[in-house]
Amino acid sequence: MRREEDHNVPRHPHLEEKTSDVASGSYRPATIPKHRVISIAVSSQKGGVGKTTVSINLAHSFARAGVKTLLVDADPQGSVGLSLTRQSRLLTGFYDYLADPGIPLDRLIVPTRLETFSLVASGQASDYEAGGGGMGTHLARVRAFLRSIAARGFDLCLIDTAAGLFGVTGDVIASVDAIMIPQQAEPLGIRSVPKLLEGLSRLRVVNPRLNVLGVCLTMVQNDLAESTEAAASLRQLLPQEMVFQTQIPRDGLFVRASARGLPIGVLEDGAGAQVVFDSLRAEIEAKFEPSYGQQAAYG
Amino acid sequence: MDPVNPWLDPVEVRRLADRLMRPNRELGVSVADAGFDEGFVGFARDQTIPPEPLPPSPTPFVREVAATSVPPSSPPENPVIARGPFLDRIVRFRDWMHHNFTATGIFILDREGAVIFDESNHGRLHFLARSLALASRRPGASAGNVHVKIGAGATLEVIPVETAYGCLVLGAVVSDSLPPAAVVVVMEALALVAAPPVEG
Repeated sequence: MRREEDHNVPRHPHLEEKTSDVASGSYRPATIPKHRVISIAVSSQKGGVGKTTVSINLAHSFARAGVKTLLVDADPQGSVGLSLTRQSRLLTGFYDYLADPGIPLDRLIVPTRLETFSLVASGQASDYEAGGGGMGTHLARVRAFLRSIAARGFDLCLIDTAAGLFGVTGDVIASVDAIMIPQQAEPLGIRSVPKLLEGLSRLRVVNPRLNVLGVCLTMVQNDLAESTEAAASLRQLLPQEMVFQTQIPRDGLFVRASARGLPIGVLEDGAGAQVVFDSLRAEIEAKFEPSYGQQAAYG
Repeated sequence: MDPVNPWLDPVEVRRLADRLMRPNRELGVSVADAGFDEGFVGFARDQTIPPEPLPPSPTPFVREVAATSVPPSSPPENPVIARGPFLDRIVRFRDWMHHNFTATGIFILDREGAVIFDESNHGRLHFLARSLALASRRPGASAGNVHVKIGAGATLEVIPVETAYGCLVLGAVVSDSLPPAAVVVVMEALALVAAPPVEG
């Protein structure tokens, strides 16, 4: 089904041009189950750890693999939109949906040339940029959003949240099936892990079905001892199953990709980096295997 | 030099991490992990008794409470037998709660956490009630009532009630947690207040 025929919303111009080849079906279908939507928040205690980069490229990896994927920008800074769409500031988005119950989901969804990949921008409700609204304020609306997505036939909803585990981000985490946590491989960030775990423990009371997929080390610099030591320390500190084997390296390709408004796998020389996200995708799929029979939290 | 471990407590971090990686159904709810403070009274699961059909007249408990806690000259109208528009019934229920249980700050949330009725005007109480109601759920069982001390002489009583319109969460500030029998009466009353009117 082509979404752009159903909705009067702009398609992403770059993805239209660049990703038509990957929609040809030559990729191994991923194993995320099709009978329900799985929602995953990409969140962290600290900012600047690579959430948006992970979200965009992981979503693209799932979509390439045939999973009907919706990438939602729940960061008021609009990082996904600013990375992928020139018109992001003009689009009705997630925060508009939270603020106005009259906005239908259809108005939010931005299709791309890759039939299985759609976006929701953060929107224009600027009052949220100052962090408006305490946690719990938008819980009902966030859950309504996830139910609407399930009804639209998406397989996967990946939500790029703002840093911190409070406010709307807290409401998102209190509503999704799972959370993955990008964590920059540097000492200061890893020292914040206890605060992260405490925050997740509190949110898991609100959302008992929250599946903690784990921490993904990002911006790893193999030529910098402090970076590799920090990564090793985190692996020593946390249970093995809580840290993804896949690490995201610091790479100039990410800067080039965001400069051009593309997922990294769409760059001419991005195939190597795409393998990293395909590997991360495979780890996530494996983590969902045992829970195939469970129902979505609020989807 | 280890750049991380000297700055934190590895044992505590490991404990928190291990808990997070286990399915929640294997865990009891820890008050400390839930982030509540010393004032937390506890999850009153033993007070959860499935509501039974209410007789058409006030229950003995209601009469007893009315006799002991309010002037006998002004018995409250039982909200169960008060019909009319939904909001009117809720208001009567609110008055009944005031009268019989000296309850204040009453609010009712729907299954999505949306506010149906509120006299507390306090969003944090709503959030606390939602959190407690969700936390009190157990697999295969309905949510039980929960209470938490929120101040000197003030306890937030949270009572999830299955109604014809789904689970409603009642929040009320009372001086002390309600006894099990009172909780049952409140559950029955709200279930009937929220029931669709019977024609004829």
